[in-house]
Amino acid sequence: MSKPILEMRGISKSFAGVQALKNVSFRCQAGLVYGLVGENGAGKSTLMKILAGVYKADAGDIIYKGMPRLSASTGEIIASGISIIYQELALVPQMSVAENIFLGREPRTSMGLLDLGRLYARSDELLSRLGVALDTRSLVSQLTIAQQQLVEIAKALSQDADLIVMDEPSAILAGSELDQLFDIIAALKAQGVTIIYISHRLEEVFRIADEVTVLKDGEVVDSRPIGQLNRHTLVRLMVGRSLDEIFPQTDHEQGDLALIADDIATDTILDGVSLRLHAGEILGIAGMVGSGRTELARALFGADPLTRGEVRLAGATPQWKTPSQAIRAGVALVPEDRKSQGLFTALSVRINVTIPILSRLSRLGIVRRQTEEQVVEDARQRLSIVMTSPEQETQYLSGGNQQKVVLAKWLETAPAVIILDEPTRGVDVGAKFEIYKLMRQLNDRGIAIIMISSELPEVIGMSDRILVMNDGRVAGELLRENADEERIIELATLGGAEAQSA
Amino acid sequence: MALAKRKSGLALSRDNRWRLRKFVADYGVYIALAILLLVAAVLTPKLFAVDTIAVVMRQAAQLGIVAIGQTLVLLVAGLDLSVGGIFIMTSVVVAEVGNGRNEMIAPAILTALALGALVGLGNGLLVTKRRVPPFVATLGMLVLVKGATQAYTRGVPGGFVPEALGIVNQSWFVLSVPLALWLGLNAIFIFVLRGTSYGRRVYAVGSNIEAARLSGIPVDAIRISVYVLGSLFAVVSGVVLTGYVLYVDRFIGSGLDLDSIAAAVVGGTAFIGGRGGLLGTIAGVLIIQILSTMVVLLGLDVEVQFIIKGLVILGAVTLYSVAATEA
Repeated sequence: MSKPILEMRGISKSFAGVQALKNVSFRCQAGLVYGLVGENGAGKSTLMKILAGVYKADAGDIIYKGMPRLSASTGEIIASGISIIYQELALVPQMSVAENIFLGREPRTSMGLLDLGRLYARSDELLSRLGVALDTRSLVSQLTIAQQQLVEIAKALSQDADLIVMDEPSAILAGSELDQLFDIIAALKAQGVTIIYISHRLEEVFRIADEVTVLKDGEVVDSRPIGQLNRHTLVRLMVGRSLDEIFPQTDHEQGDLALIADDIATDTILDGVSLRLHAGEILGIAGMVGSGRTELARALFGADPLTRGEVRLAGATPQWKTPSQAIRAGVALVPEDRKSQGLFTALSVRINVTIPILSRLSRLGIVRRQTEEQVVEDARQRLSIVMTSPEQETQYLSGGNQQKVVLAKWLETAPAVIILDEPTRGVDVGAKFEIYKLMRQLNDRGIAIIMISSELPEVIGMSDRILVMNDGRVAGELLRENADEERIIELATLGGAEAQSA
Repeated sequence: MALAKRKSGLALSRDNRWRLRKFVADYGVYIALAILLLVAAVLTPKLFAVDTIAVVMRQAAQLGIVAIGQTLVLLVAGLDLSVGGIFIMTSVVVAEVGNGRNEMIAPAILTALALGALVGLGNGLLVTKRRVPPFVATLGMLVLVKGATQAYTRGVPGGFVPEALGIVNQSWFVLSVPLALWLGLNAIFIFVLRGTSYGRRVYAVGSNIEAARLSGIPVDAIRISVYVLGSLFAVVSGVVLTGYVLYVDRFIGSGLDLDSIAAAVVGGTAFIGGRGGLLGTIAGVLIIQILSTMVVLLGLDVEVQFIIKGLVILGAVTLYSVAATEA
C-alpha cells in the first residue's frame, strides 16, 4: 500500500454539548475517488469542514502529504492543495466566469495591472482540462447551476488542488448534468487528483467511488472498497434498515377529481400546463432542474400570478390568486427550499407550526396559548418530531425534523390538496421513510398529493401517475405500471414530441 | 482512563462556552445594565437621588416611546430614520393647530397623529410596493418631512403651544406622565408581540419574509402597519417633548432618532429582523440614558457622551455578533 495523501486520525468534535464526531479516522490514497455517505447529521459535513479548517477538531490529528498539520487558516489549507466545493456555491454572480475562477488571485502584468489576456487564457485552459465548453467571459448569473458548479471545480483546479471535496454536488444537478460531472471526476482522477465525494444518493456512489466510508451518528461504521458492497449492504450500514421497506405500499382506490389546472402559464418558464388530480392520489412531477417543476408548484398555490389559464378545486369552488386564498381553499405547499422558504429558523417550533392557523387559534386576535400548545404536542406525537421543547428554535433541529415541522405546519391547515416540492431533500433515510409513510396516511384520508422530486426512485416508488416536465410544459404522462427511469429521462431530456419519434 | 477524563472535561468546557454565548445573547443587556448601575453607585452616587432618578426616567421615557416603534420596525427587518422629522412636524402642528388654546390640544394631537400615520404609510408603501431599501426610503422621508415643515412655517413657526400640554410635566414622586405613558405602552405592546396573532406575524415577516408569504401572511400589510406604528410612536414622543419645553423648537428631539435605533440594537433587536423584543429595548434605553446622565454628573464634556455612547453601541453589536456566529 502506498503512502496516503491524507490521513485523519481519531477526530472528535462537539457542538453545544452534542458530539458530532467521535474518534473518526479516514484515509485517502492519491488519485482515487472516495465516497463519504451517511444520513443527515451523521457528521460528513463536519468532518470535511474540519479538513477545510472551518472548524477546529476537539481531538485528533490530520496528516496531509506525510506532514502532520498543525493549526492553519482556511487560506493556508487551500494553498496546500485542498479545495472544498460546498453545496451552496460561493460565486459572485455579477462577475465573469474567468474573474470568478481567479477571484483574489488575478494574474497581473509587470505594471501591477490586471492581465486580462492571461486571465482568460488560463481560464480557457482550465475549462478545457475539464473537457467543457463554456465562455469564460459570460457572467456567472447567466449560467445554470450545473455550469456554476463547473466554475467552482475550475476554481479548485486553478489553486492546484490535489484533493477536492465535493459536498453533495448532485443535490442541484439532474440527468445529463450529472453524467457530465461524473466524466469530469473521471478526468480529474486520471490526472491524479483525489476526490472525496459526499452524497445521499447511493447510485452515484456505486458509479464513481473506489472506496466508500459510512458515517453514522458521528462514527465510522465501515470503510470498504466498492467491490465489496452492494446497495442492500450499504443501506443497511447507513440506517440499519433494508431497502424493500423504503417505499410503503397501500392499496387505495382513486377518489373523485380534486384539483383541476387548465393551460396555466406564468411569467416564469411555465408555459401551458394542464393537469387533473384526484383525491387520495399521488401525482409525481419529474423533470430536470429548471424544467418548470417548482414554477408549476408555485403557480398552483397562487405564489406566482397566472398570465393565462386557471386553477380550481373540483366542484366549482372559487379560484385563488394569493397563497393566503389558496390556504383557505384547502391547498398547501411545502416548498423546495426549507431554509429560505419553509421555515422561520430563528423562531420556535411552536410558532412555526401554528403560523398559518393563527386566526383559528385566536379569539379577538389573542392567541389561546393552551390550545396552541396542544396543537404542537399533537403534531410532535403524530410526526415523531425530535426536539428539546416546543420553544426550541428550529435552526437547531436536524434536516429531517425541520422538514417534519414544515409538514406539521401545513397539515394543521387541513388541506384537501398538498403540494410537496422535494419533500425529502436533505433529509436522512430514516426520516425519508417516515415522510413516505405519512404521505400514504394522507392518501388514505383522501388527501390529494402532488410530489415534485429529482430522485427518480422516489418518484417511481411513490407516485400513482407521473407527469414529466420539459421546458415549462408537460412532456408526457406515465402510469406507475409503465414508468421506469429511462422512460422518464427520455421525456425529460428530449421533450414529448421528440421522445415519441425517437 | 486519564485521557478519557481529560477529554470529557474538555467537552464540558466547550459546552459551557456555548452556553455562555447564548446567555450573553439573551441576557447580556440586563447584565450590562446591572454592572452600569454598580459602576454608577461608585462613581456617581448622586444618580440615585430621587430628583436625578426622576429626570433620568423622564428622559428615558421620551426616548423610550419612540424606541418602541423603532423596535417594531427593526423586527420586520426595517429601519425608520424619519422619526426625527416627525418630532419637528409634531411640535409645529401642536403649536399651529393648538395656538395657545387648551381646548384645541386634542384636535392638535389628532392632526399630528394623522399626519404621522401618513408619513408611516409613505414609508411602508415605498418599502413594500416600490421595494426601496428602508434606509433610503425613510431617509428620503426624513428630508421631505423636515423640508415640508420648514416650507410651511417659512422658518418662523407661528402659534403657541397650549399651556395645558404642560400636564406632561406632572409627576407623582418619580412617576411622571411620560414615564407612565412609556410603561403603559410597553405593557400593551409586549403583550401584542407575544400574545397576539399580529405579533407572531411581525416576527414571522422579519424572520423569513418568503416563508411568511407562502404561509398566507399578508406581508406587505404587516410591514406597512409596522411603519405606521413607528411613526405614531414618534408623534407621541414628539407631543411629550413639546409639552416639556412648551415652545416650538426647530431642533426638538435631535439625536433621539439615532438613539432609538441604538437603544433597540443594544437591547438585542437584530438589524436582520425577527429577533429581539421590547424588554431588551427598555434596558437599552436605560443604559443610554444613565450613561448620558453619568457623563453630566461627572462634569465631563458633552463630546465624551457621544464617544461613550458610540463605544457602547459598537461593544454591544460586537458581542451579539460573536454570540450569533457560534450559536
